[in-house]
Amino acid sequence: MIEVVDLTKSFPISRQQRRELAAAGAPAPGHAPASVPGAAGASSLQAVAGASFRCSPGRVFALLGPNGAGKTTVLRMIATLLRPDGGRISIAGVDALADPVAARRKLGFLTGSTKLYERLTAEENVRYAADLHGVGAGDYKRRRDALFAALGIDAYAGRRAGQLSTGMRQKVAIARTIIHDPEVVVFDEATSGLDVIAARAIIQLIQDCRAQGKTVLFSTHIMSEVTMLADDLAVFHRGRVLAMGGLEEVLARAVDERGQRRTLEDEFVRLIDAAEGVRA
Amino acid sequence: MSSPALVVFRKELRDTLRDRRTLVAMVVVPLLLFPLLMVGMAKFSQSRAAEARDKTLAVAVADAEAGAGGRGSGLADWLRQEPGLAITEVQDVTALPEQVRTEQLDAAIIIPAGYGAAMAAHQPAPLQLLHKSSDDFDIPRTRLEQALGRFEQKLLDERLRGLGIEPRSIDPLDVQRTDVVSSRELFGKLLGGLLPYMFIIFCFTGGMYPAIDLAAGEKERGTLETLLSSPASRLQIALGKFAVVTLTGFTSALLATVGMYVSVRQGVEGIPPAILSAIQSVLAPGTIALVLALLLPLSVFFAAALLMLSLYARSYKEAMSVISPLMIVVVVPAAIALAPGVRLGLVTALVPVLNVSLATREIIAGTAEPLHLALVFASLLVLAAGGMAACARWFSREDIVFRS
Repeated sequence: MIEVVDLTKSFPISRQQRRELAAAGAPAPGHAPASVPGAAGASSLQAVAGASFRCSPGRVFALLGPNGAGKTTVLRMIATLLRPDGGRISIAGVDALADPVAARRKLGFLTGSTKLYERLTAEENVRYAADLHGVGAGDYKRRRDALFAALGIDAYAGRRAGQLSTGMRQKVAIARTIIHDPEVVVFDEATSGLDVIAARAIIQLIQDCRAQGKTVLFSTHIMSEVTMLADDLAVFHRGRVLAMGGLEEVLARAVDERGQRRTLEDEFVRLIDAAEGVRA
Repeated sequence: MSSPALVVFRKELRDTLRDRRTLVAMVVVPLLLFPLLMVGMAKFSQSRAAEARDKTLAVAVADAEAGAGGRGSGLADWLRQEPGLAITEVQDVTALPEQVRTEQLDAAIIIPAGYGAAMAAHQPAPLQLLHKSSDDFDIPRTRLEQALGRFEQKLLDERLRGLGIEPRSIDPLDVQRTDVVSSRELFGKLLGGLLPYMFIIFCFTGGMYPAIDLAAGEKERGTLETLLSSPASRLQIALGKFAVVTLTGFTSALLATVGMYVSVRQGVEGIPPAILSAIQSVLAPGTIALVLALLLPLSVFFAAALLMLSLYARSYKEAMSVISPLMIVVVVPAAIALAPGVRLGLVTALVPVLNVSLATREIIAGTAEPLHLALVFASLLVLAAGGMAACARWFSREDIVFRS
């Protein structure tokens, strides 16, 4: 389970960034200036402002939002890469702020920009992750055999990552992410920039994780992925949760003035527009 | 099961050793540079010196008082008896400077009118030597001056005898010079500054590429997030990487020492025996161990500085541009130690890099004072510890790790 309560995070901005914001005449997309909301002269940008949600085991939770909404910042805080200014994060029952190392033991984290160590072989890349997670030799062999067979990595396990195709690399990255059998798996726009075949491997992984009872959290701005994969979702914009609930529940609420049901995309755009309108 | 720091260290070391660029900078260059440099420089210097020594020098002598019934100075005839000189007598002196400048002549000697009168009056007789300074140790000029010196001595002896004085009687002292400096000390003072300069540079360059690859390279490749989301703490990650950068820098300096040691022990052809003997006396195991002991904390400090700058950079390219100026910061104090008169003292022992350079020179010369060495070690250990602590703190700073 992942439980996020009232999460906040702001980043200091440099003088140059302030000038750029002033020139643009608005805060950076998706970010609200912390000290003086709406003022380009603010000293920091609030990337996440009181976000709360819960992801349950055996379910897939989608964090849906436009570029710059603050999704990556939230996921990085969950992965304990960034420390929140306020709020609470619990990963499989572990307080991630009090014991980030223990929280990371429960976690697998994969981003769209994740690459491999090119001078290491596919096997060495996966072994490195296993060693970092303290996976014992016996457990490693068992999990490695199962994963490599399932993903078809055996054929190129001894080849250096730099010599592998994009699809092969993606499979190795997947094996690396779950070699320690994490209870919680977090994907940050993991299909971004991938071709259909490589993206399908990620989608399959998400489905497998759900089937294994793992907690899955993924961020995306692609509606089709949400409708295909998500059990629950939160629409995220400017560091805030605009709407949240089960996928069916959110779609059921998405009805226009004439009683017609909206698509997820239409509902998403409506929520964003409404939020922008309130701000304007 | 290993500690995460050890896991990071092992992986980074394996990764680094598979990087050809690092291998060249860390192993090949330091191992081969000294032998090649020593053999090359020795052979080159010797061949240039031999060429200058054996060359027949073309010398023009313009004696204004020779010919037309005059007896002249007799210098041209004297010089003809000297080996290795081809003497041409000329009358016109106007073209001589240009001929010497364009190296048609190696030198020219002009004896103006009045030479004979000055000589008869027992006054210094005028004589002009035209030569061109060169990069071949000025051996031609030296040879010619030695020949002129012998001619002058002959004239002096003749004058003294004309006055009824035995030439030997005007030398009241027979000075016997004995230089008590040991070949080791002489070598240490003269060349001892150059060796630490090279070792320090290798310490730095050996760790440079791994440091860039292990921090900025990892950022650029997008593998840093994966590493940071593992259970390894920031401190453990920093320590693992830090140890690899320290090891590569130190190994580089060590291999440079090995390269020099092996080439000297083998008695590299081309090095003059006196110099070879001096170097061999310097390269005692104890001396080498002491120098390496100085380089270890320096490698630690360099590793910390390199990793911090590399982590600050957003990309490999930016890391290169940030780290390159640091090379100057390292080279300048190392080069200051090469200047004559700069010695290891209570103040210089505390200046990073300069202290290592000066201490190494003193160690090589065998003149190091224990108090100064202790100060150098202490200041280096403090510097290394501070660098390590700062580096570990740097890895836990979000604004550095995720700088964009």
